[in-house]
Amino acid sequence: MIRSDRLFGLVAVLAALAYIASAWNLPPGNMFDALGPRAFPIIVGCGVLISALAMILRPDPEPDWPGLPTLASLALATVVLVGYAYALKPLGFLLPTAIAAGILSWQISGRPGLAAATGIGLSVGLFVIFRYALGLGLFALPRALAG
Amino acid sequence: MDILSNLALGFSVALSPWTLFLAVIGCFLGTIIGALPGLGPSNGVAILIPITFSLGLDATAALVLLTSVYYGAMYGGRISSILLNIPGDEPAMMTTLDGYPMARAGRAGEALVISGVASFVGAFLATVALALVAPYLARIAYRFGPAEYFALYALAFATLGGMTSNNQAKAALASFIGLALALIGLDNNSGFTRFTGGNLHLADGIDFLVAIVGLFAVSEVFFFIESHGRESALGVRLGKLVIPWGEIWSTRWTMLRSSVVGFIAGVLPGAGASLGSFMTYMMEKGIAGEKGGFGTGVAKGVAAPEAGNNAAAGGALVPMLTLGVPGSGTTAVLLAVLMTLNITPGPTLFADRPEVVWGLIAALLIANFVLLLMNVPMVRIFVRVLTVPPAILLPGVTMISFVGIYSLSGSYFDLLLMVGFGVMGYVFRKMDIPTVPVILGILLGYQMENNLRHAMTLSGGDWTYLFSSPIAIGLWVAAILGFVAPMFLRRFLRRPSVAEADRIVD
Amino acid sequence: MTFAFPKVLVASAVIALGIGTQAMATECIAPANPGGGWDFTCRQVGKILYDLKLVDQPVQVTNMAGGGGGLAFNYVVNERNTDPDLIVAASSATTTRLAQKAYGDARADQVRFVGAIGADPGVIVVAADSPYQTLTDLVEAIKADPGSVAFAGGSAAGGFDHMKPLQILKAAGFTDITKVKYIGVDGGADAITQTVGGFTQAMTGDMSEVVGFLKSGDIRVLAVLSEERVPGFEDIPTAREQGYDVVAVNWRGFYVPGGITDEQFNTWADRLRAVADSDEWKKAMADNGLAPFTKVGPDFQNWVNDVIAQTEELSREIGVIQ
Repeated sequence: MIRSDRLFGLVAVLAALAYIASAWNLPPGNMFDALGPRAFPIIVGCGVLISALAMILRPDPEPDWPGLPTLASLALATVVLVGYAYALKPLGFLLPTAIAAGILSWQISGRPGLAAATGIGLSVGLFVIFRYALGLGLFALPRALAG
Repeated sequence: MDILSNLALGFSVALSPWTLFLAVIGCFLGTIIGALPGLGPSNGVAILIPITFSLGLDATAALVLLTSVYYGAMYGGRISSILLNIPGDEPAMMTTLDGYPMARAGRAGEALVISGVASFVGAFLATVALALVAPYLARIAYRFGPAEYFALYALAFATLGGMTSNNQAKAALASFIGLALALIGLDNNSGFTRFTGGNLHLADGIDFLVAIVGLFAVSEVFFFIESHGRESALGVRLGKLVIPWGEIWSTRWTMLRSSVVGFIAGVLPGAGASLGSFMTYMMEKGIAGEKGGFGTGVAKGVAAPEAGNNAAAGGALVPMLTLGVPGSGTTAVLLAVLMTLNITPGPTLFADRPEVVWGLIAALLIANFVLLLMNVPMVRIFVRVLTVPPAILLPGVTMISFVGIYSLSGSYFDLLLMVGFGVMGYVFRKMDIPTVPVILGILLGYQMENNLRHAMTLSGGDWTYLFSSPIAIGLWVAAILGFVAPMFLRRFLRRPSVAEADRIVD
Repeated sequence: MTFAFPKVLVASAVIALGIGTQAMATECIAPANPGGGWDFTCRQVGKILYDLKLVDQPVQVTNMAGGGGGLAFNYVVNERNTDPDLIVAASSATTTRLAQKAYGDARADQVRFVGAIGADPGVIVVAADSPYQTLTDLVEAIKADPGSVAFAGGSAAGGFDHMKPLQILKAAGFTDITKVKYIGVDGGADAITQTVGGFTQAMTGDMSEVVGFLKSGDIRVLAVLSEERVPGFEDIPTAREQGYDVVAVNWRGFYVPGGITDEQFNTWADRLRAVADSDEWKKAMADNGLAPFTKVGPDFQNWVNDVIAQTEELSREIGVIQ
């Protein structure tokens, strides 16, 4: 059976090799710069490589991964957060925040009513705090609408 | 005495009902800003700069307000570390290691009180030291060149071996990953970008705030979705809060040692508060040994980093005031404020503008006492956070984190990175890979490479230059001891004893 | 129509709270975190603009750090190209980076450089106990052995601080400029610390960065890279007097979006001239080691174009760009 540590170690080894290769192909830098831009990244890449190999050779006991339904809901949460990151600027603060906070709340508690209230409450409450108490330049609504 | 008359001058400038009022406001705001993940002391001070202008504050009043916010934010950072396992700012990350286990055991109130007192001790001693020795101490910065800084960073990483007891490879991997991430972006020595894939957003590198909020705050949300809030500190029955005098007294030497080390770390422009709290925690962990139970929720484990980082915050003012070299993001902002008030820090500031310097020191002392008086009674209010249902609290923390990071650069890209770090944090914590070394790597990686390259440039490629000064050699020896000692100690102390050993009164 | 409702709601909430929106206020973008020169320029000039009643409301300063100013540059070009109420702090670093194509595909002609209202003259500094007494001593030492002198400066390799000693050496007929050691540290004060500490032999930076250390006697300024000696520092010789025809000043000024009308551009030029002539600005300059340097409007734009062309040439020579 493939252990998580081994799988992770393998991914880290591949990433380290890509990193080292990328460092190797950097231009040489200035003449007076004795070490150059490649050396330290290569040392660090080798560090990743060695410690990742150690993980492959001596893996720990398998961690307690959640079941498929939970993984699916974690994936949903990630998608929501990524969507939120993209939406915050074009759609303003209020709407995306209410939706994202609502979905996260629902995922934690499983209670739609509470989640909806949390989403709306947080969105308005935080907006007031950030905009007026802390003076951050947030936009409530899509800029086109807010004029 | 000279100092006393100077201090009297300072207080005559800084102490009035109006400035006391500002100090209270500043301390309160600072504590809140510090406690919010993603918003740290530098944001707090930056946010308040326009306010000082629009209120038309004079130089002294502005300094009182801003230093109150600065110290307040340093105090506040610990609150979310302890209650939510989410550091409010980067120096507070070490406080999660013992603070959160304490909260899970129903001892959040004690953890907050102990760390609050430790913060006070660290900040107070640092302020006193600032008043007494700042002009002389500034000379230390002249003794630290590229080789010395490189050795200092090596020392920090060498102590990482003691970080986790089970799998050293994982701690090493985590710190190398942090270092690798730190090198992304513009390389100041060659003028081109590295590992960015041509993405302009990555040209300035990865902001460690993005990493820390992602690794701690966003990953915490994932854990809550998985567990629906079980196993967390939320909803844990809190014991009746009594001030744990015995425990506080038992950490007295920890606080003192940590204040000294933290202060020195703060004085060195290349080190700063995060390195200060890290080193003090590792030092105290080493002194306590396996019996100390560090990492399981012990008083010394919250006292050390808090005394350390608050002392470092005071120490960072030394190079800022005497050399104009900001040792941290926050002191960079304070420096900017001083400049807009037409005060130019530098070697002559103490002689030229005593009323400013001593007014500032008096303001720091005032802020410190206000914070102590404010923080200990407020612990009762802070711990109320733990009674908020997770379904409200966690989405709230996430949204605050997003806004905090968004306010840094106003770019969606940082938010995406933060989500990425959140996923990484979840996977790492599941697999028992420590996340603190990742942050340390990101914080120090670029400086570490830079100093190594500068050392090689100056010496023309001669490696022995790294060991050419007494300070550098001393740091290397300490690094080797720090690396080797845990291995030997583990051999002698086969059997780690229970964490109870350190709890005197319970 | 469904969207109109919340808009009204928010508008009334704003009125109810008695807080005006900042949307109409003039904005100054500082393309860096608080604490640097650009931030200083925005805050100081913004304050004076309001104090002189050249604008109706306090100028809102936005810090937009990223890409050494590239993020703000691209943002202005792509999203605010016709906004007449926006100025962006700029300096020699801006033009250096544009010349070196450090802002991606961005070009200098995508915005309009509206004016400089002060300048921080470049300086070459050594520690007080240094054997080098004059700029010529230093130049001759480098000519004899390029590895014997290392410079520390606050900008990246290839940046403005790095260029200053190279320009001097070129003026002195030294061509092997790629061999000159330079370390880019975290700001001018840090560069001085390294030099006073003896880790580097000379520091290249701006006048404002060295004033405090000059007063305390820790350093000696070998040359100032301005056209004339700087008022208040008359005993410091220029490089020109010592036979090296190099002028390198770090100007402080602004660019505005490229799509605004000539009329709007001229309005800004006039406002900046008024700021430059104000006593408040003169005092701020004196307090911060800035020398008078006023160029506004089309004059400034032409001057900037020349500087960019020169920088491009030198950068190509030392291999910073191909």
